Amino acid sequence: MKGIKKIKIVISGLFASGKTQFINTVSEIKPVTTEKKTRGEESKIKDHTTVAMDFGKIKIDDEHELYLFGTPGQARFDFMWEILGEGALGIIILVDSTDPASFHEARKIINFFQSRFPVPTVVGANKQDLPDAWSPEDVKIALDIEDDEGIPVVGVSAIDKESVKNVLLTLLDIIKKHLESK
Amino acid sequence: MALTGDLSTFNFVDIFQVIARDRKSGILMVEWKDMTVAYYVKDGELVFARPVDKVYRVYAERHFDSLLNKLRISKDKLYKTIEKFFLPRLNNREGIFSFTLGFIKYDSDVPVYIHIEELIMRASRTLTPEEIERKISDELLTFEPSADVEEKLGKAKLTPEEEKVLSLVDGEKTVGEIKRLAGIDDLTVGRALYGLLAAGFIRRKKREVKPKLSITLDLLTKIIEKIKVL
Repeated sequence: MKGIKKIKIVISGLFASGKTQFINTVSEIKPVTTEKKTRGEESKIKDHTTVAMDFGKIKIDDEHELYLFGTPGQARFDFMWEILGEGALGIIILVDSTDPASFHEARKIINFFQSRFPVPTVVGANKQDLPDAWSPEDVKIALDIEDDEGIPVVGVSAIDKESVKNVLLTLLDIIKKHLESK
Repeated sequence: MALTGDLSTFNFVDIFQVIARDRKSGILMVEWKDMTVAYYVKDGELVFARPVDKVYRVYAERHFDSLLNKLRISKDKLYKTIEKFFLPRLNNREGIFSFTLGFIKYDSDVPVYIHIEELIMRASRTLTPEEIERKISDELLTFEPSADVEEKLGKAKLTPEEEKVLSLVDGEKTVGEIKRLAGIDDLTVGRALYGLLAAGFIRRKKREVKPKLSITLDLLTKIIEKIKVL
């Protein structure tokens, strides 16, 4: 019997940027998560966090499945970024638009992936539904992303299916352009 | 919409980078430990600073000229407010900021005492190694001079060390190489690169993305169609 081909997109971002929710919103299965209770400062933000990875799945056809892998956001788990980044079709980096402290960390993640896995990348400026959210345009400036860098910054609310789909479609559109230019 | 944050994690270099990039106008409020100060920004330039006892007072006056009339401050004295309420606080990270875009109406020209590029460079000279690491996170990063660097150079007085670092940025040398060639301590090089980047003197060198895509156009089209109907 022919095996199912797995296609991988990595969802990365700092602690509490909304990766697990992003995956949960579009996954056709209940996302598999590896969480633990947070401690110290982290516990003030949320009760549990991803420590290894979490993933969701979307069935494309009888032979293909699209996997959305979430990587842990904290820098101490950056070895997981490397493991999950290998072979990825593209990368979505989520930032918490209400927390500018997360912007610097997102830039580090972009640098990490761009230097090791130069694959199409999109930044999702998450939590746009909250009143203190920075606009995607301002997030882009704060992240030092130049217009010609080819990394769109898209506003998203990870609890809203249509906006999550929009981020995925933005990434897939970049990939399509790469394929068409070959 | 306001841009809010904490100076301990998003300092003046970062704030001014966002304000300067598309020449925003508005009011930057900073709640310091000892006072709250409203900083007035016109076309990306800091033009006036005013301590306030009640925040709502700031939003009670939408016209800059009439505000100055009420406060009995002439335009040629505005720089003194920046000298008094902003410059001594460049190194202070204990504050919460909120930048409200627009709101205040500037009905006439306002003199610019110190250009935002100069303020960014001055603020960058106070950065800690931990702060520098946020932007200059990798010795392999490469920067190149911005297209309008010559024009911008007239707006900030660089130190000899910053000029040296700027001269080494050529789109080829990495941060590690610049550190070795500059003959200056790493902290000063890091501060200079951070400031030059935020002020728009230099920019990240674009990386050519050549992905090895193991997927066909047909399959990708199928994925796109699937996502659309989720």
